[in-house]
Amino acid sequence: MAAPDTHPLRLDDEESAMLRGEHGEAVRRALAFQVEVGRFFGAERFVPITNAHVMGDIEVMGDGGFGFLQSMALQDAKCRVPTDSNARCMHFDDEADCLHQDEGEVAKERQVVSMLRDMRVATTDTCINYQTVYQPKLGEHVAWGDTGTVIYANSVFGARTNYEGGFSSFAAALTGRTPAYGFHLDAARRGSIAVRLEAAMRDVADWGALGKIVGHPHQDYFAVPVFEGVRDMPLSDDLKHLGASLASYGSHAMYHVVGVTPEAPSAAAAFGGREATARMTVTDADIEAVYRAYRFVPAEKNVVVFSGPQLSIFEMQRLTELFQGRKVASGMHCFITTNHAIHADAERLGYLKALHDAGVTVLQGVCFYILQRLTEIRVENGWTNLVSNSGKLVNTITAHRFNTVLRRTADCVEIACTGRLQ
Amino acid sequence: MSHAIQVRRAWGPVVEGEALVMKEGFSPRYDLNRVTGVITRIGHSCEGLSVKDKVLVIPTTKGGVAGGWAFFDLLKKGIAPKALVFGKLNPVMVQGAVLAGMPITEGWEEEALVLVKTGDRVRVDPAAKMLTVA
Repeated sequence: MAAPDTHPLRLDDEESAMLRGEHGEAVRRALAFQVEVGRFFGAERFVPITNAHVMGDIEVMGDGGFGFLQSMALQDAKCRVPTDSNARCMHFDDEADCLHQDEGEVAKERQVVSMLRDMRVATTDTCINYQTVYQPKLGEHVAWGDTGTVIYANSVFGARTNYEGGFSSFAAALTGRTPAYGFHLDAARRGSIAVRLEAAMRDVADWGALGKIVGHPHQDYFAVPVFEGVRDMPLSDDLKHLGASLASYGSHAMYHVVGVTPEAPSAAAAFGGREATARMTVTDADIEAVYRAYRFVPAEKNVVVFSGPQLSIFEMQRLTELFQGRKVASGMHCFITTNHAIHADAERLGYLKALHDAGVTVLQGVCFYILQRLTEIRVENGWTNLVSNSGKLVNTITAHRFNTVLRRTADCVEIACTGRLQ
Repeated sequence: MSHAIQVRRAWGPVVEGEALVMKEGFSPRYDLNRVTGVITRIGHSCEGLSVKDKVLVIPTTKGGVAGGWAFFDLLKKGIAPKALVFGKLNPVMVQGAVLAGMPITEGWEEEALVLVKTGDRVRVDPAAKMLTVA
């Protein structure tokens, strides 16, 4: 590695003390890791953060990550800032009798949760922390893990974070700071792709489709789309599906919607003098073409999934209305995932009973595509097509060899209740 | 005859290995079976091939925070790639590589996707910011 003097990353007195181990071994290891990552990106300093969102589930950590977490726990690691946790890979409830998750892995996942709590992580188990847990303000620096949370924080709140995966968000939680590179700096936040939106945008799935149209041909973390021409004020759920999809297809961490998001009072402000490297127009026909491009494989057993990101209370309410008095068809399975907070509210509001009566399985604290042993679950249930209103989900789940199909919310419900693949 | 390609930024120790060149963006979650180390996404340019001990040459990233833990876990399982050579990357790939002690580079002066072929012997020297094809 290059000599330190070629890297300008400056440490203040407290950071230097951390690196000398004066705040304990867990903090020393965390800061040393952050220094390496910061130097890669040419960070010149650290910035204090107010909040962290950590991702630790046994499916993605594996035994390697599990052992690493244990070593952190043994070193008495404690979060210095308010920290919550992302969705889990295990459904601890026994309602979902078609999942058959491994007992041994379930036990490890419970240990992970326990260790996180000891580290002062509030285990909210949610990928929609921005809707239910914490809403950072304009210019506030945070260290969030899940990509959908990052793009929402940067775009909709005007807060500042990079993707902080694996140990990275833990390290930030332990040191209370993160290296200042990427979206912590003004330069990265300026728009680079001009998108003229002429489509009507009638469903969250349309926003996911838009994310695919823009994200797929521009796979670049530092690309920032700027949308102009939006007709009606988009809802939080619309922007959540747009962001999740852009992050999934394009690895994007920020977008602007002119007249809607806080750093885009005008197109000129959104671009901030940066030249657009691409220009696109998206029409109703372009959105329809996305749906048409997904083809069903003829099959008897299929699954409809509302997940990725977890559902808000208003998405739960809408699905309750659509499923009212109906039944999931023979040969079909239907899943919804949400977090514990919304699950509790949905129960109180009677949504869960109505959905249960319709034959829908509601999973809490998980996200569908990160479920442990998902490939085996698919095979055991004989599922071929996975139909979803989430542009993100139909992309993220593909390593498990589902044939994925994107459809609008009401169409997904129709497919679930009739079994007709259309 | 060997050919050296300058990379823009890099981290980690020097390694040598066999190249596996991808035509599309990569995510360890979307594309890889993380139990077997085999690329399983239907239609992926490397579908059916293992990443174990390979120097992955990848145009760009898709998603995703999975890489933050995944490379470290692949290493513990004995099915990790040797190095990651990216055209464009996101920070998660760097965070995951640093945790796993796996060399990682970003950007190339010449088109590595054309100059490097799957099966070529390559050497990654992060300190020299150099990728050498044997």
